[in-house]
Amino acid sequence: MDLDRFNRLLLESAGVGLALADPETLGIAFANPRFQEWFPALEGPESRLDEVLIGLDVERMRSRLAADRPYRVDLELKANRRALTISVDVKRHVGDGGDLLVVECQNITKLKELEYMVESYSKMVERQNRDLRKEKDRVEKLLLNIMPRTIYEEWKEFGVTAPQRFDRAAVLMLDFVSSTEMDIAADPPALVAELNDIFTSFDRIVEQFGGDRLKTIGDAYMAVCGVPEPGSDDPRNIARIALRIVRYLQRRNAAQAIQWVCRIGINAGPVVGSIIGVQKYVYDIFGPGVGLAARMEALSNPMEITMAEDLYELIRDDVTVRERGEMDVKGFGTKRIYTLEGMSDLAISAHQDW
Amino acid sequence: MARSVLERYGGFPFLSRVVMAFYDKVLDSDVLAPYFEDVDMRRLIDHQTKFMAFLMGGPASYTNEHLGNVHAHLGIDRPSFDVMVATMQETLEDFEMEEADVATVLHGLHSRAPWIITGPQAAAG
Repeated sequence: MDLDRFNRLLLESAGVGLALADPETLGIAFANPRFQEWFPALEGPESRLDEVLIGLDVERMRSRLAADRPYRVDLELKANRRALTISVDVKRHVGDGGDLLVVECQNITKLKELEYMVESYSKMVERQNRDLRKEKDRVEKLLLNIMPRTIYEEWKEFGVTAPQRFDRAAVLMLDFVSSTEMDIAADPPALVAELNDIFTSFDRIVEQFGGDRLKTIGDAYMAVCGVPEPGSDDPRNIARIALRIVRYLQRRNAAQAIQWVCRIGINAGPVVGSIIGVQKYVYDIFGPGVGLAARMEALSNPMEITMAEDLYELIRDDVTVRERGEMDVKGFGTKRIYTLEGMSDLAISAHQDW
Repeated sequence: MARSVLERYGGFPFLSRVVMAFYDKVLDSDVLAPYFEDVDMRRLIDHQTKFMAFLMGGPASYTNEHLGNVHAHLGIDRPSFDVMVATMQETLEDFEMEEADVATVLHGLHSRAPWIITGPQAAAG
């Protein structure tokens, strides 16, 4: 087989479309079978390149070639019902018999298809990631409802949290006086709505003084200052919270038919804080600091705030109190008991008939 | 959590080969190709990628309503749908997918038939 024949065969069977054209007139002097298959508009030597290759930017091509650079363009066309993407590459070839444009066409349809698919898939994945992030935020928000942020961070990082001792956590315990016997008990949804409203207001007060609502049990409410991060003002802050809660209820009761009468016990003492439970977990605190607050609540008169000497000694310079004398507190021995009536910025009237 | 069909077969690299092969088969088919003659290649591939990923439990979701919208103007009839299902089955078999997994994918496809078959016989069927 001579070289000429080999070259001709190669030209005819190649997967690449090849054409030669005049640089001035753009008349197509030669086109191999593949080129003719892709561009059937080709009708002979009188066909011009820009007539056959729809989408060719003649001006840009000329300026590129004048600068001695190749011109490339991707053309979309339809052949046998298939959408094809053909990459066209035009170069100027300087030869003995004058200059020629060499047009080389590659079928890059598969590449394009893959490109589109990658694009489509990555969008899908991005969207999924966005949804997951949103879901994660939602879960995080829920978890932050049942545990303080620092505990949550620790739990997220290590999968467990170590119980932690706090020497002087300030605890508030609140309960409503015989709310189960209220008229509203005949209308449970209304009761829940009222309670929700009241506890939401409590939460705001607690947050305002850097505390955390730990939990509610029925109509009982428990808040804490200094857990898990102790502050220097925790004992005073728990007193401020208690006073503002009482004032809030006084104002609310003055404006509403249904009267909510509370009892509050506050204390500062040692507690242990930890996440309790495996499947159903909750952050909780235990210890004498909590126990004494609960006893104080039980000893409290309606709409009053009660504390023992433990807390009083810490904040005595800043509070006005009414002393109730020594009492035997179950589990804690004899304690001097006080009713908190005010602080420099807020006083609640002590005597009201309930 | 159980791994999806797509995860078990290697995720996107597998999906991309299946979609490309399926796309080729569909456009080579005398029954199926005419439906897509006027459909933009990018859109067709986008849809096939997402829908295939969806059928294999991948990161896509399709509501019936969305599926209905996509096929509304194509007017696909029952025989064409059956050819499409057969083509899909063939493609999955070509990639040595296990019989049970092929069945899972085809089941998903069949269950969505009412929203894909939008041709004149759709109401009668």
